[in-house]
Amino acid sequence: MRVALAVFSVLVLAVTGVVVYNQFQSTWQDNQKAYFNQALTLAKSDVERAALTGREPKIEQTIVSGFGAQRIDRCTSCHIAVDDPRFDSAKQPLKTHPYSEAMGDVLKNGHWQRKHNFTDFGCTTCHDGQGRGLTVADAHGEEEFWPSPMLGYTTQGDWKKENADHLKGAAFLQANCAQCHTDKDFKGTPEVAKGRELFFKKGCFGCHRIDGLSAGTLGPDLTQIGKERKLDYLWGHTADPRAYSATSIMPKFQMTDAERTSIVIFLKSRHGNSQSESDVQKYVNKTAASVVLPESATALEGAEAAKMSQVERGEKLIHGLACLSCHKLDAQDGGISPDLGYEGMERDDQWLMAHFKSPRSRIPDSNMPAFGLPDADYEALTAYLLSRKTPPSNATSAELYKQLCSRCHGEKGDGKGPNWLYMDPAPRDLTSAPFMNSKPRERFINSLHEGVAGTSMPAWGKVLNDDQINGLMTYVEQTFVKTPRNPIKARKIPDANPQKSTPESIAHGQEIFLQRCTGCHGRKADGNGPNAMDISPRPRNLLNSAFVNKASDHRLFESIEYGVDGTAMPSWIDSYSQNDVGDIINFIRSLNATGK
Amino acid sequence: MTNEKKSLWKNVVELPGNFWRSIFRNPLPSSDRERAATSFTNFFLHIQPVRVNKRTLKPTTTFGLGLISFYLFIILTLTGILLMFYYVPSTTQAYDRMLDLRSSVAFGIILRNLHRWAAHAMVAVVFLHMCRVFLTGSYKPPREFNWIVGVVLFILTLFSSFTGYLLPWDQLAFWAITVGTSIAGYAPFIGKMLKFMLLGDVTVGQEALLRFYVLHVVVLPVVLITFVGVHFWRIRKDGGLAKPEVEDEPKAITAPVAAPVAVSAEGGRKFTVQGLVRGAFVKVGVLDEDTVFSWPNLLIAELAVLMFTVAVLMVVSYFFNAPLEHPVNVMHPPNPAKAPWYFLGLQEQVSYSAFWGGVGVPALELLLLVLVPYIDRGKEGIGVWFSRKRFLANLLFLIFVVINVFLIIVGTFFRGANWQFVSPF
Repeated sequence: MRVALAVFSVLVLAVTGVVVYNQFQSTWQDNQKAYFNQALTLAKSDVERAALTGREPKIEQTIVSGFGAQRIDRCTSCHIAVDDPRFDSAKQPLKTHPYSEAMGDVLKNGHWQRKHNFTDFGCTTCHDGQGRGLTVADAHGEEEFWPSPMLGYTTQGDWKKENADHLKGAAFLQANCAQCHTDKDFKGTPEVAKGRELFFKKGCFGCHRIDGLSAGTLGPDLTQIGKERKLDYLWGHTADPRAYSATSIMPKFQMTDAERTSIVIFLKSRHGNSQSESDVQKYVNKTAASVVLPESATALEGAEAAKMSQVERGEKLIHGLACLSCHKLDAQDGGISPDLGYEGMERDDQWLMAHFKSPRSRIPDSNMPAFGLPDADYEALTAYLLSRKTPPSNATSAELYKQLCSRCHGEKGDGKGPNWLYMDPAPRDLTSAPFMNSKPRERFINSLHEGVAGTSMPAWGKVLNDDQINGLMTYVEQTFVKTPRNPIKARKIPDANPQKSTPESIAHGQEIFLQRCTGCHGRKADGNGPNAMDISPRPRNLLNSAFVNKASDHRLFESIEYGVDGTAMPSWIDSYSQNDVGDIINFIRSLNATGK
Repeated sequence: MTNEKKSLWKNVVELPGNFWRSIFRNPLPSSDRERAATSFTNFFLHIQPVRVNKRTLKPTTTFGLGLISFYLFIILTLTGILLMFYYVPSTTQAYDRMLDLRSSVAFGIILRNLHRWAAHAMVAVVFLHMCRVFLTGSYKPPREFNWIVGVVLFILTLFSSFTGYLLPWDQLAFWAITVGTSIAGYAPFIGKMLKFMLLGDVTVGQEALLRFYVLHVVVLPVVLITFVGVHFWRIRKDGGLAKPEVEDEPKAITAPVAAPVAVSAEGGRKFTVQGLVRGAFVKVGVLDEDTVFSWPNLLIAELAVLMFTVAVLMVVSYFFNAPLEHPVNVMHPPNPAKAPWYFLGLQEQVSYSAFWGGVGVPALELLLLVLVPYIDRGKEGIGVWFSRKRFLANLLFLIFVVINVFLIIVGTFFRGANWQFVSPF
């Protein structure tokens, strides 16, 4: 026991010794001592020298109370020479903070005077980082748990390397300049201005709200995004949204690195509580009428625009607004949404206007936001689209397929064209022989001719002639389906629902639906049941009225009783009588009844 | 006059010695009588018996677990008081104070580390202490009430640790307490009210921080100290450590124990020892030869355990920093949000059934723990590790321990986003 007592006592003494020793051996103390020594050699008078020799290291700090919540910056405990112009060529941490006319510093009688005094601003107001820290790791915010590492300087350990390389440079500091200098034309924040422009040019405003700037509701509110997220997230999420949130519906926008830098800086500058805005102004921004005009649209107003015809104005708008950062038109292709080249021929003006005002009124699962532009702009856009009447140049079926179909259905016909991810319902997989061969050819010809209501598949019959359509179908059969079609066995399917749509029938249909169908089609019948994520093609959204109302009883009967080959829909013919199925159909139809 | 002067001078000369002797009444003992006196005339030592069984000093008898728990509590009190000088229980300041402790306050980081690791260690060691008491059958009569006091102390320890968990006001703290108090909310009838009373609000916020702070630094420690006092007092009253039954009869001293002892020749008042003290702890007449004097044997053992505890804590605190995660962000819960590790078994159970996992099963387990000494009243196998005669009791208890430890391990290492099963490797 005595030995144990002795050993442990010595151990305690030793560790205590180390702890005490470390306490008095901090980097900041070493830095200050180095500063005193160097300053001693530079000192010009004895008084100065005497003051320096008597100086002991102590924690230096600035208490910043003028900019938002009070903060304490101890950065000058190491960077003690920031305001000592004699150290302008010294090495960090003992270097003078550069003077710059751009930042408003003035040279008077050979002495620089700062505009942004460190005693007022501290350091973290501009640079971020953790002002209270006294070690490099703490103060610069290197630890992943610190929400604001030094802007454009410190990258944290958990940041992805491919992002971190882009996130260094003084330009990122502009995000903090913009906290006070909110003027969008402010000379010191060109990157913020560029990012702001991109925010409109790329269509971000359509989905995202920023108080006072935009009113989108499809995506998260970005008013405070700069406070909530670090640079790494902003860069990574704009580059590949699904890498950061698996269920994100945000498209991958095509941007150059320079553009992305600007948009990241702009987003980082969104703190929601700008210092130079009064509380009243903030309230006004927050409660502003839901329609905020995008800046690029209002830029098109004015004398020049007034002289234009509707069609000219529409053309100008379609290029000036964000349309082409998703859609394709002629040579420009956003790679996300359908080709607008022939929409004018395929749709009529009513459809186009209704779709502009509310895309989901026509395609219920569309990811296109309602941009909330004035009706006049929509009319101009509609007029322009309708004015485009040139059908695609005559070509072989293969060329037609490539030109018109492959953006959605894919060059291999597997339903995975460049923009398939953003289509709901997804483009049909044309290589799925079980499905393609279980339906008569007439049905596909019909879909090509008239489009599929409630989806992005347009009526090609208005663009192409019958020969071209037949040719396309043959091309699909030969190139993608490959397996020759067997004669389809005759099925006993009623042409019209034998069950009358009575409340009893609907209730019985609902009962069966809730028992058997919700696993895939969901309790709301919206196609989002618990199994839906694992099924391809995804279960049909039965609330897609445009689609359901267009589908005949015959088709619904066939799908339910015999299942749909090549999909997860099973056959129910052994479980339910024709009357039961009729009740289910009545229930589904009751969900989509107009005027309900 | 001269006499008076003389004596005054003498007093001055002797002052240091008198001063010293007034505090330390005994010289360094050289005889048994003095060793005994040292024990019972010293306030801090008199809580212990004058002589202790040699078995008590053998490390494998108890592994010093109870003592380590007590030392950890002392360390927690001391470091806690020092931390209180810097801490502000305010949602806007608490986190900043943590940052200050980490880099600007002298010895702040080691202080916080000591407090944090000692807190975790105390939960673990108190639990191990409970295991020791059970597995050696030491809860049996007459110690059954002290077992209950022990169970209460265990719960108080958990709550002290839990209330302290919130104070750094980082994401870890915020969401752990959110999860922990939600589990409390599953209790039937009173759950919602209990949660509201704990939080002072419907969510964790300023009110909760203040309540947890007061509970952590005043209420729980005071209650804990009281129960620790009772716990120690009962150990003495129940005759020290539980001992295995001695095979052969203890040697009796021939002194006439029950015979009246004459206090004075003339006086008529007579006392019997039995008349003053009763019960199982009567030692008079039975001199256990297996005992040694507490001073210095027990004292040295206790100091060695103290130094061991402090040394381990210091080393751990030097190398591992107490975690401090993101500042609280109510909008971004971590996925998964986990309770403190000692409640992760509960959280794991809750993931199967909110009521049974969070309230039903734990309440049942607690009830069983409390009732154990009244259900299992056999006199056999006391004071021996894993006695064969207590095979069933020990087996059941070990199953209880293994299941709970297993659940904690699963909850800690094998649960990822959305509480999905993940492999930590």
